[in-house]
Amino acid sequence: MKQASISEFFEKNKHFLGYDTLQRSIITAVKEAVDNSLDACEEHRILPDIAIELRKVPKKNDRIIMVSQDNGPGIPSKSIEKVFGSLLFGSRFHTIRQTRGQQGIGITGVVMYSQLTTGKTTRVTSKITKEATALQMDIGLDTKKNAALVSNRERTHDFLDYNGIPVEHGLKVEAPMKAKFQRGRKSVGQYLRMTSIVNPHATIRYRAIDDNGEIIEEFVAERVTDRLPRPVRSIKPHPHGLEIGALNRLLRDSTERRMSLFLRHTFSGVPMRAMKETLAHAEVDPATTPNEVSPEEAQRILNAFNTVRLMAPPTDCLSPIEDLLIKKGLSKSVDSAFVATVTRPPNVSLGNPFQVEVGLIFGREDVPADGAVDVLRFANRVPLMYQQGGCLLTKAIESVSWKGYGLEQPGGKGVPKGAATILVHLASTNVQFTSEAKEAVADNEEVHNEIRLALQEVGRHLKNHRKKSAQKAKAQEKFELVNEILPAISTKASSLLGRDEPDLAPVITRIMNAVFCEDEVTWDKEAKVHRCRIKIHNYTARPRAYSILAQYPETDTATFVENELGGRREVKGIWCWKLDTIPPGEAGNIEFSIQGLEHNDWNATEVFFRGSGDIIGASKIDEGILEQIRTEEEIATKKALEESNMALDDAMGHDVDNSGDLDADELQKAMMGPIGERLEHSDAEEAIAQHDVDDSGTLDRKELLDATQSDALRQSGLGEWGDE
Amino acid sequence: MMSEAKSREEVIESLNQVAAEMHDKMLKGQPPTMTLPVRSKTNIEFNKKLGVYKYGKKQTIRDATSLGSARQLLRALHVIDFIEEMIDTAKSSTLREMYYISEGWGLGKFGTQNESNNIAEDLEIVTRCMREDFKLRPEEDGARMIGNVTIEERNRRGDWMRINCRDDVGDSGYGLPYNVEPEKIRLIDQDIDFIMAIETGGMFDRLVENGFDESARCALIHLKGQPARSTRRMIKRMSETWGKPVMVFADCDPWSFRIFASIAYGAIKTAHISEYLATPSSTYLGITADDILAYDLPSDKLTPKDIEALKAELTDPRFATSEWQDQINMMLNEGQKAEQQALAKYGLDFVTDTYLPEKLAEYGLSI
Repeated sequence: MKQASISEFFEKNKHFLGYDTLQRSIITAVKEAVDNSLDACEEHRILPDIAIELRKVPKKNDRIIMVSQDNGPGIPSKSIEKVFGSLLFGSRFHTIRQTRGQQGIGITGVVMYSQLTTGKTTRVTSKITKEATALQMDIGLDTKKNAALVSNRERTHDFLDYNGIPVEHGLKVEAPMKAKFQRGRKSVGQYLRMTSIVNPHATIRYRAIDDNGEIIEEFVAERVTDRLPRPVRSIKPHPHGLEIGALNRLLRDSTERRMSLFLRHTFSGVPMRAMKETLAHAEVDPATTPNEVSPEEAQRILNAFNTVRLMAPPTDCLSPIEDLLIKKGLSKSVDSAFVATVTRPPNVSLGNPFQVEVGLIFGREDVPADGAVDVLRFANRVPLMYQQGGCLLTKAIESVSWKGYGLEQPGGKGVPKGAATILVHLASTNVQFTSEAKEAVADNEEVHNEIRLALQEVGRHLKNHRKKSAQKAKAQEKFELVNEILPAISTKASSLLGRDEPDLAPVITRIMNAVFCEDEVTWDKEAKVHRCRIKIHNYTARPRAYSILAQYPETDTATFVENELGGRREVKGIWCWKLDTIPPGEAGNIEFSIQGLEHNDWNATEVFFRGSGDIIGASKIDEGILEQIRTEEEIATKKALEESNMALDDAMGHDVDNSGDLDADELQKAMMGPIGERLEHSDAEEAIAQHDVDDSGTLDRKELLDATQSDALRQSGLGEWGDE
Repeated sequence: MMSEAKSREEVIESLNQVAAEMHDKMLKGQPPTMTLPVRSKTNIEFNKKLGVYKYGKKQTIRDATSLGSARQLLRALHVIDFIEEMIDTAKSSTLREMYYISEGWGLGKFGTQNESNNIAEDLEIVTRCMREDFKLRPEEDGARMIGNVTIEERNRRGDWMRINCRDDVGDSGYGLPYNVEPEKIRLIDQDIDFIMAIETGGMFDRLVENGFDESARCALIHLKGQPARSTRRMIKRMSETWGKPVMVFADCDPWSFRIFASIAYGAIKTAHISEYLATPSSTYLGITADDILAYDLPSDKLTPKDIEALKAELTDPRFATSEWQDQINMMLNEGQKAEQQALAKYGLDFVTDTYLPEKLAEYGLSI
């Protein structure tokens, strides 16, 4: 980019930088500030507390001062100018990992926009823990030099948070700009509300102030969890999805001496065997220096990548929000009767790991029931607010047949109608957008399928919920009938006639003539467990026998602590018990408790059954769906096992002395392989010490497998080989 | 005959039968029930002897297997208890009063006034008693009447008061009380050729202002839409006592046809007492579907509801005659309806000077 053209570049491209209209500009500015704050907090493991304030400037048309303040680490004084003063600054530009900042040009764009539209500077106040005072400065841009122009640089004690308490660490940005305030679906308020849903660990405060000082919009979205998202790791590119230009660039820039090392060290997912096969296929000598590889050879390598069996890229570089937290985030932002969420397992498309999460809120009272449902789209925890129609996430919603799940869908296609909200979040190391504006996700069959599967699952939950609600209401009526109305009829008729009251027990069985299920989930504050009780009443004239299945949140931490009936795990998230035969007029009970969940992680269960007839309040289990889930689980297990074997084969290939064991040196080298993690020699020694069962001082294949599955070593990257 | 008042004991006995049906069922271990005739057009039959439509043999059993039906049964028991108490204490109440009194019935209280009206009707039908036997009065006020007829009404003090419905009343006419039985109203004398029942108040007032009752020698009765029981009962008594024909003058729409049917053949809702309320010799004078064309009257398009009602009438046994089928089909084909007042297109006197004389002449009533 020619230096002189930076402001010109901005002017020309403001439509995809997010500054094309006055309404959108303010959203973009807020978004850049919030993204920066969230990323900084997460990197430093701080629970974010972010305040956004918009102040309309008196006597100026369309002039707003945007003030953002966070409790992040602050920026060291020497970096402030770079962060705010030069376009395209930032380390994340060349790494492959899931980050928010895939959109826009960062906070410098805000400074630029502010300067271009008002001629004014942006005030930045930063405080880092190790300095006693905050640093404050006004920043403008020298657009010719692509550098900051700093003025009024001073130290201040007067840096307070919203409670008026001096800030220990944090950042405040005050940028005046030409912008228009608005409310509604495409507004700063909506953007921040959406942001708070997908960042349940953040507290976000928002306030808009009119030019007369009156507050015109205000809310606080408190955090609903203290769990920070797990840190994202950067990964090396995977050969699938690689384009020839990118490969040529990597070859040109490589400092490796040999192609064999280049392939092993530049990419993820290329074990020793695959490296050898690729080079053989491409007819490239392993000893060739990368920058000597000809374009023809490069093309042959690219082709070979598609025939040789590679390992999948690691997927723990992704940071899903996780269904329980989405549920909490959604529940806090909207009052509703029903929320279902699903986080799909990670998947890979064209060498890019991705993961899909969806949520469905139903029974909103704040919106009309005959309008289209609200669609909330997110890519890597960033709300997408424009171009809904052309977005893959919307298309996936439209492709589901919602009628079957109880939502209206005129013509059987399109966004369904109803007092509902559908949330779709795509987490990926490389979200492909339809255009530079980065507002609509581009078509991709694998992503589309994953979203569909997730939506169908929440759809099933919705259907069961609605059926259950209707049945519950019906059961309630029956109970009222036999417990209140029938005795009243009996009393009144008997007294009118001067007769004795009849025995009502046989009449009640005749009227009910059904099996009823009651269930509840409660939180035991003392024991810190969730207790679930399921009661099956047999109000029929014959004995009944069932297997009862119940949904529970299956997570890494959740464990059954009280479960007298035992039973067994049916599939992920579903437990099954066999009930003793229930005689007429009696009830069967199931009680169990789950430990390791936070309060509100679990509020209600879904009950299913195997057996004849109907149970009011429970659904007959769909064996087809169970089978589908089982198959998916089996495939995932098999795939993980294969990956693990490939990785072990590869690692054992480093057994240069053919001892059948790996020593610390060999282990260290092995780790440079497909995963490409640098393992410190001391860590390798520690891993050996921990898992060396036979005290040989080295790891054999079995010991290595154990090591890869141990939590302690997950941190160092070994864990990826394991069976998730 | 139903019109004859039943004795206290008979009424109480038949009400207790309803409670006994429920009690017997429960003794057998079955949900309590209440058996009623089906009250729809599929269950009315022409009674040749009486010349009116009565309920047929189809029965519906209301049983306590759903919350709604169970509540109905409980309410019915409360109403029975209430009626028996009124009979015991020689009191009466209006249906509306009963609706409010039900506030104290706990689980048996009414949700809407309509529910209490329906249960009173249910009990009439099941027990073959009259509402009057139950000491329940309707809210609806009777119609207005003007014409040279003389009646005696027993007033609140118990004195018989003689009234000539032309000379002793103002322009609003004589207001019919809710009870028009002989113990309340005596038919004394008349000098008329026929009785004319008019659907709308506007037309009634027009005919009064134009002095039609005198020029055509008739009694004018305002139906006020779907006529109250007392209005239909009064028309029947006058027609049968004095041998005078009844001419019904209404709008031309499906609802007017039903008004006529309730006067001439019996209403579906009160088919259990049709012989007491309906006047089989009544004639539908107009406005007919062919009048719209013949007199080129301003008309309105039929609404979807109108069309639905007309189609329902095609399968209503009361409209099974070819004349009615022709009228209804003609209306459906034209897709138009008209109001009585549409005749004003030709001036205020057109109805009394031209239309009615022409129509009446068709039935041999010359003016």
